[in-house]
Amino acid sequence: MPLFSASDIYFFCTMGKIFDWIDSRFGVKEPHKRFMQRPVPSNVNYSYCLGGMAFTYFLMLAFTGLLLSIYYVPSEKEAFKSVVAITNEVTLGWLVRSLHKWSANLFIIFTILHTIRVFVYKAYRPPRELNWMAGVLGFVIAMASGFTGYLLPWDQKAYWATEVGTSMFGTVPLIGDYLMYAVRGGLDINGTTLIRFYSFHVLYLPVSMAVILWAHFHMVKKQGIAGGL
Amino acid sequence: MGEQKKDKKFQSDYLLEMIRKKDKKFYPDYLSEIIFAILISVEILIILALLYYPSIGRQIDFTRPFQPKPEWYFLWLYQLVKYFPGKSAFIGTVAIPVVSVLLLLLIPYIDRGRNGRLKAIAAGSILLLMFFILTLLSVLQSY
Repeated sequence: MPLFSASDIYFFCTMGKIFDWIDSRFGVKEPHKRFMQRPVPSNVNYSYCLGGMAFTYFLMLAFTGLLLSIYYVPSEKEAFKSVVAITNEVTLGWLVRSLHKWSANLFIIFTILHTIRVFVYKAYRPPRELNWMAGVLGFVIAMASGFTGYLLPWDQKAYWATEVGTSMFGTVPLIGDYLMYAVRGGLDINGTTLIRFYSFHVLYLPVSMAVILWAHFHMVKKQGIAGGL
Repeated sequence: MGEQKKDKKFQSDYLLEMIRKKDKKFYPDYLSEIIFAILISVEILIILALLYYPSIGRQIDFTRPFQPKPEWYFLWLYQLVKYFPGKSAFIGTVAIPVVSVLLLLLIPYIDRGRNGRLKAIAAGSILLLMFFILTLLSVLQSY
């Protein structure tokens, strides 16, 4: 049996024509030809894919997060109810929520594994110091996203974990009290905290992360993949 | 007959060696590996998400006592804070975490000069061990 049927080939040709039509105006193929055909070190193995796997989970987080934001209501009275509705009423809402939560966990795990891989292969050495730092910054943003996202279900676990977490800001010498007030948007956790965390979780942190990741990939492209041990 | 077989085996080894030594191209060699890894990661995600989906928590109730538990990747911090009560609290909540992040950030500069790599390995292992041991302690104490 042939690998592709006639209709498959017709489909590929059509897709190719559509791509060519777009590319003749957009021009992404030519400048990327050299990038696609560049040589990579011959000892590149599957451990070099860990970063790409983490990025896959970042994309899944963005995608499922966009879906969740359609039904989630970031208000003191509605937040818990909307999470219940997403889980019980919205079609496949439970699955989207589950995918979002698991993507977050796997993103952290694979980022740690990717960091260990880079460390073992000494890929942080010059000229890649800045890229290592961009990665560390991205990891800090990921942790902050996890922290802010934990409050959003607005249940007992979320409330008390954030109570403990934000109280740590209060222990900073000198500015502790002001810092905690700024993080909570008040003396204790309330609706203002929820909106504040929501805003950081869906706007500030993902946008910062996108910028950091762009810089991360840009440097990989410019400096090439670091060779083996 | 035996020699011929040996010869063939040698030849195939040689061929494999040649293939291995061939310069890899981003496309198709590396890209195909990446795409395979992406497919695997999506599969891991879907399997976990279908098997263990999050339940709905309890509604906020101030009259009920509640033992807060953070996400697993914050357990180390949660455990660390326990060792610095009262006025020394900022050592656990601010000083050690900030120093840890700075240490991680400056790994490329720790790895300088003679024994640079050894110093970097020391710094990296301290961070990783701290993370693992504190997380483990926190998990063990909650049972």
